[in-house]
Amino acid sequence: MKDANAPSYSSLLALHELATRLSSQVDSAHHEIGETREILKDAIDRLMPAFTASRSQDSPQHAINPSRREAFSALQFQDISDQLLAHAQARLSLLLQEVNLLVGALQPGNDHENIAGRLTQLVEQANDNLADLDISLLKPVGKAHLGTGDVELF
Amino acid sequence: MKTILTVDDSPSIRQMLAYVLTSNGYKVIEAEDGEQGLELAKANQADLVLTDQNMPKMDGIALIKALRGLPNYRKVPIMMLTTESSQALKQQGRDAGATGWMVKPFDPEKLLEMLKRAFAQTAA
Repeated sequence: MKDANAPSYSSLLALHELATRLSSQVDSAHHEIGETREILKDAIDRLMPAFTASRSQDSPQHAINPSRREAFSALQFQDISDQLLAHAQARLSLLLQEVNLLVGALQPGNDHENIAGRLTQLVEQANDNLADLDISLLKPVGKAHLGTGDVELF
Repeated sequence: MKTILTVDDSPSIRQMLAYVLTSNGYKVIEAEDGEQGLELAKANQADLVLTDQNMPKMDGIALIKALRGLPNYRKVPIMMLTTESSQALKQQGRDAGATGWMVKPFDPEKLLEMLKRAFAQTAA
């Protein structure tokens, strides 16, 4: 006997189409963040040798020239930004993986008789993966301004 | 001349540290992760280690623990240079044997001052 609450074939097709479009969007966002990281890294890699080449501006009164000192602190924000972007990419990778599993499960032509059971399995697996991701990603420092960090000797 | 081992997976941070430290009379050895840091520490006796926390292969806490297990690094100052400011991580670093802690972005002058204090503490 057919389950009255089972989704119709047309609604599953619509869901498959939506999941495919979501997958494409997440994939694009993942690539765009990757490109942003590369651009930032390239900019800093080009800047650093020129920045550190001349030491003549550093006076004996200051270990590091005061204007250069400010720039040194600011330049480190690429490193902090890159960690945040890497975290965003890791989250998008997992999202893409889960959406692609959903696309696979909803593929037209699949046996849709047991769709509810397969979707329940996907949800359980996705919940486990999300929990693992939260554990694996350490929280980078949240910076609201360009101030330098604390120093402490134990 | 004192030798400082810097361990950080960010090339730009390593370059900045090398610039600041060599400009101020220190010899610098660079490693890009904890594993390489440990190997270089074994091959070269550093007078101070400056390590990042979040790195591939071996993180900063694991590196500090490994270094403290080596007889010639039991008393060498090890400073953590990290983007994280959580008290829990700071405590982990302390428990692992870190001598001090500095949150990125670092101020070059404050870093140099901290190194002087760390060396003075060791000598006392």
